[in-house]
Amino acid sequence: MAVKVNLHLTLRQFTNGQEMVEVDGKTVGECLKNVVKKYPAMESSLFAKNGKLSNIVEIYLNLQSAYPNELARPVKDGDEIHVTMMLSGG
Amino acid sequence: MLSSEELDRYDRQIMIPQIGEKGQEKLKKAKVFIAGAGGLGSPVSIYLTAAGVGHIRLVDHDTVDLTNLNRQVAHWTSDVGRKKVESAQEKLNKLNPNVTVETMSVTIAEENASELMTGFDLIVDAMDNLPTRYLLNKTAIELGVPFVHGAVNGFQGRVMTVVPGKTACLRCLYRGPVPASKFPVIGVTPAVVACIQATEVIKYLAGIGELLENRLLAYDGLSLKFTEFKVQRNPECEHCAHL
Repeated sequence: MAVKVNLHLTLRQFTNGQEMVEVDGKTVGECLKNVVKKYPAMESSLFAKNGKLSNIVEIYLNLQSAYPNELARPVKDGDEIHVTMMLSGG
Repeated sequence: MLSSEELDRYDRQIMIPQIGEKGQEKLKKAKVFIAGAGGLGSPVSIYLTAAGVGHIRLVDHDTVDLTNLNRQVAHWTSDVGRKKVESAQEKLNKLNPNVTVETMSVTIAEENASELMTGFDLIVDAMDNLPTRYLLNKTAIELGVPFVHGAVNGFQGRVMTVVPGKTACLRCLYRGPVPASKFPVIGVTPAVVACIQATEVIKYLAGIGELLENRLLAYDGLSLKFTEFKVQRNPECEHCAHL
């Protein structure tokens, strides 16, 4: 078993349309790094240049907001991460 | 007190047990502030007018552009170049003359937000940019007035209702500024999101149902999925932590 990472629509361009990616990791940050290892082009959409999450990214762990300190949140096998983007249009 | 015309007009919704005549009277007495007369503000204002919300203040500084017409359904081809609030007011008055539709063609800013939004039962966020959304959020919290947030991009949208001092607010999830950009959208997306916002408004005013409190409802029109995320108050939130 692994951690399921559900990707926002705009990120699926890097996964050939795949919505969910399974990765290993002990924290949300490790899981996202492992997603980026599989799909390196996704890195700049997830992370700012300083390695922090991009301001537009929102992380939910098992459907619960992981804010703040999202990357440090511990995860276990079977957990589900949702990576979504803040929306501003109206 | 509802007139006989109003009893006829709202007959089908008065039939809903949770609304009834009492709920309809609550809607009639209510005052709602709608920030934005665009993709979200058009359907929100249309459905709240149709539902018989007594007083609506619609604020938008913009004029109707041809590129608005794929989604901003209160504005039609002949309205291009008109002030959006004037264009919307004309349709809303024709839809339901019982509703007082007050319009202001001004930019919502730090200097005027509190004055514009004072005296209303509820504030609807139908804006198209994050800085103004945060300003609305902050002002709603200062005024102690519930705030219904909605936003869209492409086929996606989201809705959340903020009750000051009780629920997470928009700023509770803030990580830092996001650069403004032109966003893609097709009209059916703000239609879905705005109708959920209007549903929240009606429920709150009538005192029925469960609001999207501490729940961010995300909509994906392409896969036709709704996902509900739990959010919580941020004890360090710069807008609502003091409450």
